[in-house]
Amino acid sequence: MKTYVRPDLIADISEAAVKYVDRTAMVIEDTPYTYRQLFEKVAAIYKAINQLSEEIIGIVAENELETYASILATLFAGKTYVILHPDYPEIRNLQIAEQAGIGCLLYCGKDREVLSPDVSVKRICTTSQDGGQQAIESSVLSPWILPEVKITEANAYIIFTSGSTGKPKGVPISRQNLNAFYAAYRRLGWQLDETDRMLQMFELTFDVSVVSFLYPLTLGASVYTVPSSGFKYLNVLNVLDSHRLTFAAIAPSVLRLSRPYFPSIQLPELKYLVVTAEATDVNLLAEFRDCIPNATVINLYGPTEATIYCTAYAIPAKGSKHHNGMAAIGKPFSGMDVLIADENGQSLPVNITGELWLSGLQLMHGYWNAPEKSAYCFIRHTDGKLYYKTGDLCYLDADGDIIYCGRKDTQVKIQGYRIELGEIEYRVKQFYDNAFNAVVISLPGVDSNDELHLVIEKEEEETQKLEQYLQDHLPSYMLPKQIHFLHAFPLNGSNKTDRNKITLLIQQ
Amino acid sequence: METSDVLKTLTQIFRKVLKRDNIVLTLESTAHDVAGWDSLTNMVLISQIEKTFSIHFTFREIVKLKNVGDLCGAIAGKLK
Repeated sequence: MKTYVRPDLIADISEAAVKYVDRTAMVIEDTPYTYRQLFEKVAAIYKAINQLSEEIIGIVAENELETYASILATLFAGKTYVILHPDYPEIRNLQIAEQAGIGCLLYCGKDREVLSPDVSVKRICTTSQDGGQQAIESSVLSPWILPEVKITEANAYIIFTSGSTGKPKGVPISRQNLNAFYAAYRRLGWQLDETDRMLQMFELTFDVSVVSFLYPLTLGASVYTVPSSGFKYLNVLNVLDSHRLTFAAIAPSVLRLSRPYFPSIQLPELKYLVVTAEATDVNLLAEFRDCIPNATVINLYGPTEATIYCTAYAIPAKGSKHHNGMAAIGKPFSGMDVLIADENGQSLPVNITGELWLSGLQLMHGYWNAPEKSAYCFIRHTDGKLYYKTGDLCYLDADGDIIYCGRKDTQVKIQGYRIELGEIEYRVKQFYDNAFNAVVISLPGVDSNDELHLVIEKEEEETQKLEQYLQDHLPSYMLPKQIHFLHAFPLNGSNKTDRNKITLLIQQ
Repeated sequence: METSDVLKTLTQIFRKVLKRDNIVLTLESTAHDVAGWDSLTNMVLISQIEKTFSIHFTFREIVKLKNVGDLCGAIAGKLK
């Protein structure tokens, strides 16, 4: 029999579940569930899927105990989980199911139609509310013996991200990737234990949900999910406040939307605030500090391809390193190597901006069934290591901290000048004293020359003063040709500002 | 101010912010019933409501609001 290499995330959860059996494992919609209750569900689902030959298990994303139990059962059984989302268009769920080769779909009774009935897949209802379909009865575990943690070569999960060809792109993360992440993440030195109350605000289709949900369970701590109805940012604030959470990983968009209420927010119990998923505005964060007087703030960065997070920067209350207001992303996790590459793949010296390349144990081995996409993103460097090209522009400072400068595709050339759109955005935000968000988009204009469009998240107003300010601070080739106002910026499924949607909106 | 007057003003604000003249609000309306009323536009709506009625909500007051009726009640309470 294979034994796991420690630390093993799932084995540690199994041990914590035994040790902290009567402590609260999860709080969903204000209902607490103990480790016993959670793992009774896990055991029942495990029993149902363990006997199946299907290795890739589809799970419908719902804010239910059974959904989380389904993820755990799949991981315990050494199988691979793939999330389908009720809010996705039917065609997207179908594409994901087909590409991944989902053989079995676990759902909670409400959303079995996430795949149309004519799609051939085994459907298992994880609650016993679904009459005709195969349903799982929760079993009482007596004696309290958890399902065996199976060690297999299968991937832990496959996350589908949007692909440039319009078809979702599968990122398979192996159990070894996940454990390499887990080992490095633990080494960040969190002072957390079974008494902690920790937030899980992310969609299960986004990989930060994996750590937000699984890591607390290794400690015997409690996971608090966010209701799916109503407004996400308000639900996050409400859960943080009403349950006095001690740990929260959030997307910066939550802060941006909550800004009008900062004066009335006080979260003294919060020990850690992790900001992740998109660049963090250091000025906005500085304003939020008064709300979280006892929290250490950490910026965690990583592409899905390198398993959740792979660099960390503890953002100091004063003197945070940043580039155009975007917080630095710090140093690589243990087991990961970084390289700043020029356009020819040559390693660049400190303080020179290039593309961030990542290598190491957390790196996936290639996109799911897409060797040509993998070949495009991976490169064997002259140092012999295989690197993933992130598409993020960064430089290393003299302390070895990685300074994030924006996406490669937000760097454009106008009239032969290389322009970082982030710099213009930074100036606009400065003009508004950081009260409003702004993005700059480059679009083909007259004679196919690219033109800059500035979009501000604000009610429409006169722009004379702003234009004057920009003229005073930026060279003429960086001045936007057009200024648009949007009441609110659309977000994508990962709570990141959706530049593609903004582009469509301003073209309407 | 009567609840019906608050509702009338709210309807005007919603129509203006969400750019749809056919919005009809009832006390039972939720974000689920009103197209375009989401996390993002909610922030704009609340800020317009605060401006129009010259009131201010704390986040604890905001998170308690489950439908338009709650919102009307909260506004009326602040205007007393």
